[in-house]
Amino acid sequence: MSANKDISPPELIKDRGALHPINHMKDSIMNLLISFGFEIIDGPEIETEEFNFDMLNIKKSHPARQMHDTFYIENKSKLLRTHTSPVQIRGMLEKKPPLAFISGGKVYRKDDDATHLPMFHQVEGIYVDENVSFAQLKDLIYKIIYSLFGEDVELRFRPSYFPFTEPSAEVDILSKEGKWLEILGCGLVNPVVLDNCNIDSNKYSGLAFGLGIERIAMLKHGVTDIREFYKSNLDFLSQFK
Amino acid sequence: MKIAYNHLVQYILENPSIKQVSDSLFQLGHEHEIDGDIFDMEFTPNRGDCLSINGLLRDLSVFYTVDLNQETFTEKLDELLMSFENLSETTCPQISFLEIEIDSIPQEYNSSLNNYFLDLNLNKNNFFTDISNYLSYETGQPTHCYDSNTINGKLLFHEIEKNEAFETLLDKKITLTGKNSVFSLNNEVINLAGVVGGKSTSCSANTKKVLVECAFFQPEAIIGKSVKYDIQSEASHKFERSVDPDCHDRVLRRFIKLVSENTNIKNMSIISYKFKDNPILRIPVNVNKINQIIGINISKNQLFNYLTKLGFHIEEDYIKVPSFRSDVKTHNDLAEEVARVIGYDNIPLSEINIPKNEKLNHKDVENKIRYFLLDHGFYEIINSPFIRSSSEEAIEVDNPLDSNRKFLRTNITNSLVDNLLFNERRQKDSIKLFEISDIYLSNNGIHKKRKLSIVASGRVGLNYEDFPKKISKNYLKTIFQKILPNHGLDFKILSRDLLDTKIKNEIIILEVDVDKLSSDILYYKEKSKPPEGFAQFNPISDLPSSFKDISYSIKDYSKAQELQDLLLSYDSDIIKNVYIFDYFNNQKHEEIKIGFRFIFQSMETTLNSAEIELVYNDIVSQSLKINGISIPGI
Repeated sequence: MSANKDISPPELIKDRGALHPINHMKDSIMNLLISFGFEIIDGPEIETEEFNFDMLNIKKSHPARQMHDTFYIENKSKLLRTHTSPVQIRGMLEKKPPLAFISGGKVYRKDDDATHLPMFHQVEGIYVDENVSFAQLKDLIYKIIYSLFGEDVELRFRPSYFPFTEPSAEVDILSKEGKWLEILGCGLVNPVVLDNCNIDSNKYSGLAFGLGIERIAMLKHGVTDIREFYKSNLDFLSQFK
Repeated sequence: MKIAYNHLVQYILENPSIKQVSDSLFQLGHEHEIDGDIFDMEFTPNRGDCLSINGLLRDLSVFYTVDLNQETFTEKLDELLMSFENLSETTCPQISFLEIEIDSIPQEYNSSLNNYFLDLNLNKNNFFTDISNYLSYETGQPTHCYDSNTINGKLLFHEIEKNEAFETLLDKKITLTGKNSVFSLNNEVINLAGVVGGKSTSCSANTKKVLVECAFFQPEAIIGKSVKYDIQSEASHKFERSVDPDCHDRVLRRFIKLVSENTNIKNMSIISYKFKDNPILRIPVNVNKINQIIGINISKNQLFNYLTKLGFHIEEDYIKVPSFRSDVKTHNDLAEEVARVIGYDNIPLSEINIPKNEKLNHKDVENKIRYFLLDHGFYEIINSPFIRSSSEEAIEVDNPLDSNRKFLRTNITNSLVDNLLFNERRQKDSIKLFEISDIYLSNNGIHKKRKLSIVASGRVGLNYEDFPKKISKNYLKTIFQKILPNHGLDFKILSRDLLDTKIKNEIIILEVDVDKLSSDILYYKEKSKPPEGFAQFNPISDLPSSFKDISYSIKDYSKAQELQDLLLSYDSDIIKNVYIFDYFNNQKHEEIKIGFRFIFQSMETTLNSAEIELVYNDIVSQSLKINGISIPGI
């Protein structure tokens, strides 16, 4: 028989919970952007066509405004925001440049399959000041992508089209399998949008970017089916502590 | 849109490889995949001008020498005598008609026309429609072919706003509803403008006399029609993205040439209507502004060189935008053109320094509560707001995905209760969930509330202290007392009577306004930290699990740690989890009693008792090799 009767009990393992991986990814990106000088602003998920589309130079005829792409409510008088961009509009109407905002949250589009959900998350940022250039936008995007994926990652900028930015770009990273994966959209704020927000586009220019959180979380965590994030399965959620 | 590599490269003098063309297309922003020798192009919606061989070559001419040696009919043409009236000149400011009569219908096409169908694996239709389709591919301008003998009255272009039956040339019967731009003949719709022609006037294999319509329609009049009527229409895809309003003469003369290369033309005549001039846009030359936008330093000559290659004209102090580039309006648009030519990846970085001010994070309280809940074993959940059932204040979605997602939820708790039941069905016996979300209510306007909801049930935790304790109102009140002593948080027991479950554990729920939570919580020092890095996801088994408990008696205290080390790290593909659920040090009898719970689950198959016994027996036999340890009953 052992002489030591005062043996310590086994380690008491208290199960800690976990942040939702999408919120964790959103927080990580937001914190990174705060460290670059951005300020968080919030806006409503229920928006008007004016803020979600018109102010962003998305014309009445744009396909995104069709009933098959956007959820409308209250007899089409309002809608569920299709992106976080209207928050930037609200921010620009409230404050004068120089300004640097980020907003993150839920957005809604009428999609439902293994890679698209009717609800998903975005983080968007905007920086408006004098002489903001595409070259500066590139610098910022490199910093964001290097922080997220490491400085070894290869990335490319592709010309693209968004009504609210001009020039516009999409940014891809090269996967380990040698495939280019789209990571974010960005561009210089279309002067029409600045003018809509009573910002003198002859004096100021701006850059803007937006990331889909689910897409980045899927890449970082190796999740292949976006629906896994929203099954609320503890066997899934407990993997992300 | 599918474009064959050899159809492009036949006009490029440098004869670039498919890889070189592909790289050039990517630099210009034209995303695509390559299937054999075919580019499957995905153009951005602002670049309707690129939806053709010639359109793409216009862009590629910034890198290559392009020679569009496409012959057109150059001789004078007779004026077509026809009866046409345009009642909607705003929608259709320019339109031309060409009538051609041929001697005979060719049985075979010449090689260039034939290769279009062969290379792209397309079906032929009838001679004139085939020419029209090829021409649309080559020039980007859709044309519509009527069998001229069926046009036996005044052709009318107008907008209608009434229900009208219409049979398309693809034999699809639809009912036009709402506002539509159409061509009518004798009070009958014969063509849904810019989308699809009608059956009654379409060309057939026997058509020898064709009336070709070549028009510009305002994109707004066409957008959404093909989706609305479920019609696959390449023409509407192009009209929606805008076509070149000034191309009609060249396109119709090319039509004649293509016909004449395949058969003998008996008669032809043409007429063009221009109800409104296409506005010409001139942008002042300002190279400094272009340089500032991109962050480069190019000369005026370089700017002119880049833009000229893309089809822009320099007129002293102005840059004249070509008629096919309806997307270019401002210096930012021109800057994008220059950036594309240089290559986005070749633009050097310029360091960005955003002024840093003292900025408030107004979500401090919310974040504190999240980490407090993590410390107590709660998992954060995100649920979709779409629900089936309505309540008084629920907002209805005008166009839901389906009837199960017709309303926006008015509380979070119901979603979390569903999540709880889901996890109970997955044999979880300690479930603690929370969600923080905006909730929208309809009550004399739309009201937003930011809510925290908590739903918990089952064991307090999976360790030897918490295992026997059940989550109760009292348990939750006690832990919250530590951080929000002055909050009378209204935890409730949710009855299971109306729930689809046989489990008896109490379900405790709470839903509160986040804004009303006291800032007292800011003093809480959380133990949990955000995860370091991003864990790799391991696939989850959806097969049933089962558990086995083993209780040991330890007389030799020195062996207690050895037993724990053995069991807690026991390696087996079918053990999903193991924890100590019971521990008691009976100092009087000098005996430790310790119980381990093993959870068994396979990724591949539902485990049978023999498979579990095999592993269980090995655990037992290995553990009993430790002296001074026994399993009561064995």
